[in-house]
Amino acid sequence: MAEVTEELKQKVIDYLKTVTKAKNKEVAREIGEDKHLVDKAIAELGKEGKIEYLYLGASFIKLKE
Amino acid sequence: MADGETPLLDELEKGPWPSYVKEIKRMASKNAASKDLLGIQELSYKDKVTHWKHGGIVGVTGYGAGVIGRYTDMPDKFPNAAAFHTLRINQPAGWFYNTKSLRTICDIWEKYGSGMTNFHGSTGDIILLGTTTENLQPCFDALTDAGFDLGGSGSALRTISGCVGKARCEWSSIDTLDIIYNLTMEFQDEIHRPRWPYKFKIKTSGCPNDCSAAIARADFTIIGTWKDGLRIDQEKVREYVDKGMDINGLIVNKCPTYALEWDGKSRELKFYEDDCVRCMHCINKMPKAIRPGVDTGATILIGGKAPIIKGAYLSWVLIPFMKMEPPYDEVKDLLRKIWDWWDENGRTRERLAELIERVGLKTFLKEIGLKPVPQMVYKPRANPYVFLK
Repeated sequence: MAEVTEELKQKVIDYLKTVTKAKNKEVAREIGEDKHLVDKAIAELGKEGKIEYLYLGASFIKLKE
Repeated sequence: MADGETPLLDELEKGPWPSYVKEIKRMASKNAASKDLLGIQELSYKDKVTHWKHGGIVGVTGYGAGVIGRYTDMPDKFPNAAAFHTLRINQPAGWFYNTKSLRTICDIWEKYGSGMTNFHGSTGDIILLGTTTENLQPCFDALTDAGFDLGGSGSALRTISGCVGKARCEWSSIDTLDIIYNLTMEFQDEIHRPRWPYKFKIKTSGCPNDCSAAIARADFTIIGTWKDGLRIDQEKVREYVDKGMDINGLIVNKCPTYALEWDGKSRELKFYEDDCVRCMHCINKMPKAIRPGVDTGATILIGGKAPIIKGAYLSWVLIPFMKMEPPYDEVKDLLRKIWDWWDENGRTRERLAELIERVGLKTFLKEIGLKPVPQMVYKPRANPYVFLK
């Protein structure tokens, strides 16, 4: 599997700026990237403290305020 | 009835078997929440209705699973058990502990919770029963400092479990403990962050005896098997026969596919490898004489579950044989394909087997890129008529 790039992480952040919350699969679909790569990018962004998880029955992510 | 009396629960203490009521009473003497728990239980039996309710989502930072919220609908009457949340802790593979780690868990739980535990829940986790919302985070912090982590709950990958495998069993064809550990570490996100239509369970057994009952309890079942033939020690077979074993009655005639034949003249057990379905019966009966083959791997089965939307399902074969060697990339890729398809197509609270039944096995196989093979037949056709379209 390809590695997560800074460019990909920025694409995720840019998309999250346009929504209040999203599921991983929605992010992948909207930015047109491989779902598993996006999962890894989101996990890295979570560790970097740039996004946060919301658990509302299912898992969502949003930009950290 | 005087305050604190539990005549209905007391009935459950009678008899020669262990009683959870007795254990709760022991804790009630030193823990107010446990005392109120007894009261709630007694009242539930009296009223013939549960006095637990769902009361919102509780959890710890960064996790969407592993904490199960419990509230009573009578908080005024039972204030010490108004919130009585459960923590699920990911058990070590094979449930191997030393006494130090068990004491650590118990000390943490007596500090932050009711002190009552369940070793183990049906999925395999350590279950810590009863704490308050305020104590969840400090309890979790103490547990993670001690090297423990939460397990799965809700619509997440549930804590992966299986039999003890090669650690104690000579029949294990795969290293179940390594598989469990490896998959657990790989799928941390899936365990802690519920994102699917419903729960998903992975269980593994080292051989077709399936001591962990993985075939009935997991959406994705990994059962150790072998590709070559049985290893038969003819000398040991003759020893069994000489000691009076009815080899035809107990072994040959009980073989479900007639893969064995006892030649009384040459005193040799003949084996027809192509007919063997690796059921373990002959091995179990003559463990000193018959052993599994050496070209080992696993059969992957799919779809086991207990009833919720539809009835209970036993798993059925998806891949007859897969080599199981670290880092288990083949099985990980397969899991990810299955999850993606289920996540896209499953309805809320629809387990994988129910989705496959709704859309058809043909569609499922096409979507995950597998070709049909005869071993995948879910059950023999019972309808003798042929309908031509």
